[in-house]
Amino acid sequence: MPRSQSTEFSEYGDDSSVREVRANGFCMKTTEVEAKLDEGNIQEAESSLREGLSLNFEEARALLGRLEYQRGNVEGALRVFEGIDLQAAIQRLQPFAAEKQTSRKGRSRSESQHVVSQHAASLVLEAIYLKAKSLQKLGRLNEAANECKSVLDAVERIFHQGIPDVQVDVKLQETVSHAVELLPELWKQAGCYPEAMLSYRRALLSQWNLDNDCCARIQKAFAVFLLYSGVEAGPPSLAAQIDGSYVPKNNLEEAILLLMILMRKFYLGIVQWDASVMEHLTFALSLCSQTSVLAKQVEEIMPGVYHRIDRWNTLALCYSGAGQNRVALNLLRKSLHKHERPDDLTALLLAAKICSDDSLLAAEGVGYAQRAITASKGVEEHLKGVSLRILGLCLGKQTKVSSSDFERSHLQSEALKSLESALILEPNNTDLIFELGVQYAEHRNLDAALRFAKLFVDATGGSLLKGWRLLALVLSAQQRFSEAEVVTDAALDETAKWEQGPLLRSKAKLRISQSQPLDAVETYKYLLALVQAQRKSFGPARSISQAEDDRDNEFEVWHGLATLYSSLSHWKDAEICLAKARESKAYSAEALQTEGIMYEKRGQIHEALSAYINALLLEPCYVPCKILISGLLLKMSPAALPVARGLLADALRIEPTNRLAWYYLGLVHKDDGRMADATDCFQAASMLEESNPVESFSSVV
Amino acid sequence: MDHQSAAAAAASPADPASKARAAILALSSIVTTIPASLTSSENPALALLHDPDVASQVSSLLRRPDSGSGDDNLCRWLYDSFNSGDPDLQLVVLSHVPAVAGVYLSRAAQRKPHAGFECVLLALYAHVTTARGGQSVTVTLPDVSHPSVYHETRDSSVKSIATDLNLAVVSPSLEPHGSVRSSRRSRIVGVALELYHSRVAQMPVASKIDFLEFCVVWSGLTGDPYKDDAGDIGGDANGSPISSQGTGSGRIPMPWELLQPVLRIVGHCMLWPAPGKEKERLEAAAAAACRSLYARSLHDIDPNAILATGSLLRLRKIGSDSWPEVDHTEIPSQNVIVLSSSCGSLSSLASEKK
Repeated sequence: MPRSQSTEFSEYGDDSSVREVRANGFCMKTTEVEAKLDEGNIQEAESSLREGLSLNFEEARALLGRLEYQRGNVEGALRVFEGIDLQAAIQRLQPFAAEKQTSRKGRSRSESQHVVSQHAASLVLEAIYLKAKSLQKLGRLNEAANECKSVLDAVERIFHQGIPDVQVDVKLQETVSHAVELLPELWKQAGCYPEAMLSYRRALLSQWNLDNDCCARIQKAFAVFLLYSGVEAGPPSLAAQIDGSYVPKNNLEEAILLLMILMRKFYLGIVQWDASVMEHLTFALSLCSQTSVLAKQVEEIMPGVYHRIDRWNTLALCYSGAGQNRVALNLLRKSLHKHERPDDLTALLLAAKICSDDSLLAAEGVGYAQRAITASKGVEEHLKGVSLRILGLCLGKQTKVSSSDFERSHLQSEALKSLESALILEPNNTDLIFELGVQYAEHRNLDAALRFAKLFVDATGGSLLKGWRLLALVLSAQQRFSEAEVVTDAALDETAKWEQGPLLRSKAKLRISQSQPLDAVETYKYLLALVQAQRKSFGPARSISQAEDDRDNEFEVWHGLATLYSSLSHWKDAEICLAKARESKAYSAEALQTEGIMYEKRGQIHEALSAYINALLLEPCYVPCKILISGLLLKMSPAALPVARGLLADALRIEPTNRLAWYYLGLVHKDDGRMADATDCFQAASMLEESNPVESFSSVV
Repeated sequence: MDHQSAAAAAASPADPASKARAAILALSSIVTTIPASLTSSENPALALLHDPDVASQVSSLLRRPDSGSGDDNLCRWLYDSFNSGDPDLQLVVLSHVPAVAGVYLSRAAQRKPHAGFECVLLALYAHVTTARGGQSVTVTLPDVSHPSVYHETRDSSVKSIATDLNLAVVSPSLEPHGSVRSSRRSRIVGVALELYHSRVAQMPVASKIDFLEFCVVWSGLTGDPYKDDAGDIGGDANGSPISSQGTGSGRIPMPWELLQPVLRIVGHCMLWPAPGKEKERLEAAAAAACRSLYARSLHDIDPNAILATGSLLRLRKIGSDSWPEVDHTEIPSQNVIVLSSSCGSLSSLASEKK
């Protein structure tokens, strides 16, 4: 545009900079015509064009309109276009088309006519299109959209079979492509969203012979419309659906489909890379929690688009979001390498968080968290509290694998220290409050644990189950069973039926602790009914992981009942329950343990021993069976004492607060004649007994 | 949903306009002033929806310290209006969902009864539950190696499409709730926000801004470090240290069931701001909300939320960097216009594209 204006004043210039119109072998300077237009004399301008270039009325008008439009005089252009009966012109074009359709075979005969019709069509359609553009610029969007729509309607009427790939006039194709792209934009600007949606689909589902860039632009615009407009589009009409092809049924599906098609076009090199498409896709897929699919898309992006570190970090987020934390951690190890980007805070935090879930990785996590603390400065200083929190978690987890008492207590106090300093920075972080509660509970600082558990329940308004459970367990550890039961009942009131399972289990155990076995049986029965109803009500359509959860729940109920009956010496009932438990889970250390206990109680020592050993073969770190085996060995022969002692030491390494392990270790020392050691162990056992929760504290995390 | 409410409206003797007038009359005893033009309007409900003055009165009433109790007249009015079944009146109620949800969630920790708020939210929840038949909303993710309505594949070895598709649950199935159990609070509010999102295009700007401001409060963080001028997202910028970390007291737990609908609404406000004089304000509020939620997702180290909020922020950056966009629908400017006439197929020869 600026260029054409500048040339208007230049007297001389090379051919291409002289503004002129050519037709039928004639040529005219535009300035002559424009001068007439400026005087407001459209008819004179028109007739001079008709004479000078030997044009008919419509051709001249269309040309005038275009000149006005190109000069930026949209009002003038509109006046000119309104002088042509464009609809009538379209009507006249149609017989050609009809003829063309019927005489397809006799091609040579209709060739010239074909060309004629295309040129005429091109001229008229461009005129309507420019009219639409003029209206758009004047803000008359609805009228513009209707004009633009009439271009497409006309094209569809003229070319029944879609626009032919070959032999199509370049000019005509340009106009059609423009109109196809403009129409949805016009409806969108006019706020007519249903019409916009229809015209997007019309653009993409009909054959307009669009070029790749144009098609990609429309696809992207439609995807954006679907994602953010807040207007539900509904599935495409049945007419558009082809057998065996994927048909999206809601906005998100359709948007994701379009974005994925665009991604495919990028890596096939059909269109140029557009970063925003990837971002839209990221948003859409993370809304659906489908980050594993997103990871696949990121992996498919051609090298050179993203820096490798960015790609690793994005992938790590994707995989971690999809629950594949190990893959994520491996990627983060690469990106956090000292030669890459070792101070990236998000990556450090994610890596440390992943490590904090696994006691074997906790030491590595401590390193990441410490680096994160150092890195959280400047604008990112607000992440210091998080870094400290994760450090505390990693240290706490590391205690689980520490080899010495000294190291363990050191780590534990460090963990508490860093959680406490995180709390100073983030006093309102409920996660942190909860984690402090758990750490203190595991440390058997029950008063502090109780304080934080209460604080957490208050701060979350009781909305999180784990808060209630922690509170109940801490109370049970303080041997305040009836209060713990009151808390559990309150939690049951605040919890929907399907999520009551863990609470009911706690409740049953609380009742056992209060020596109310019959009440406990009642609770278990209710729980069982709940678990079975849940399985039935959701039917077989549930996902695999949910089905597994169901099985686990059912197993735990049956197993709990079996343990309860066996403690009451109701062997028959216990056996039935155990058999039921095995239906849900055939190989389980817990079930074998209960079986062994039953044998042992009935005096079948060897069967009991083999059951315990089998349990250990299934789960080498299963502490209760280690203790039970040592107990048996103790009774069997003094020669087995060293073995028993070894097993107990191992058990205490895994679970340092296991009171039974301490108790049996005391017995071992006593049998060996080490009375002082025995006394220490018994003392530890009795102290732990007074602070023993009905379920382990780590079960709430 | 619309079908049902339309049916309900048809069944009742009163026409929508008189229903809306009755509702406005009822509202006039609750708020201080109601312009007379509302009742005389042709569509009183829509006039009420777009009356900024009444909306702000309602909004400030909802924020009063004693609001939301069981005998709160305004909550009763919202409840009754929503259950009137008139779609336009329902829009009016929905436009106040941000304030209701915002105040309610921020106060949830105080253990005060908020039966009034809960009634309104439960009415919305029940509406969605009925409309969906309790079913979950799922998305079947496409696999572009199979053909779709929008593309063909060269490799037409037709495998069954059902093989490689991933099913994603966007909104899990709903069971009816007669009261708000605290463990379901986030879900119930989340569903109300889903309903809000489904009508968000019709919501007045003020309502959206209300919502976005609550996002900042809920996140408990200002998000200022992620302002555009504070350097790249994730990069280490050398801005001034933040004196106040802005860990506000309104911070609430933001589980995914709440965060997901929140992000959808924020996405709409940020990338689809309706043109108008308040567009810039809305965009700024959306950006602020998004920054806060991004900061919060970093605090929670929630990968899903980091990805979603991060992508919104980057989209905003891409949008502001590449503006103004080229208008591809503009015709190329030509100095020499050649009219393709009956004799010529030479049309493109002399044309010079810009």
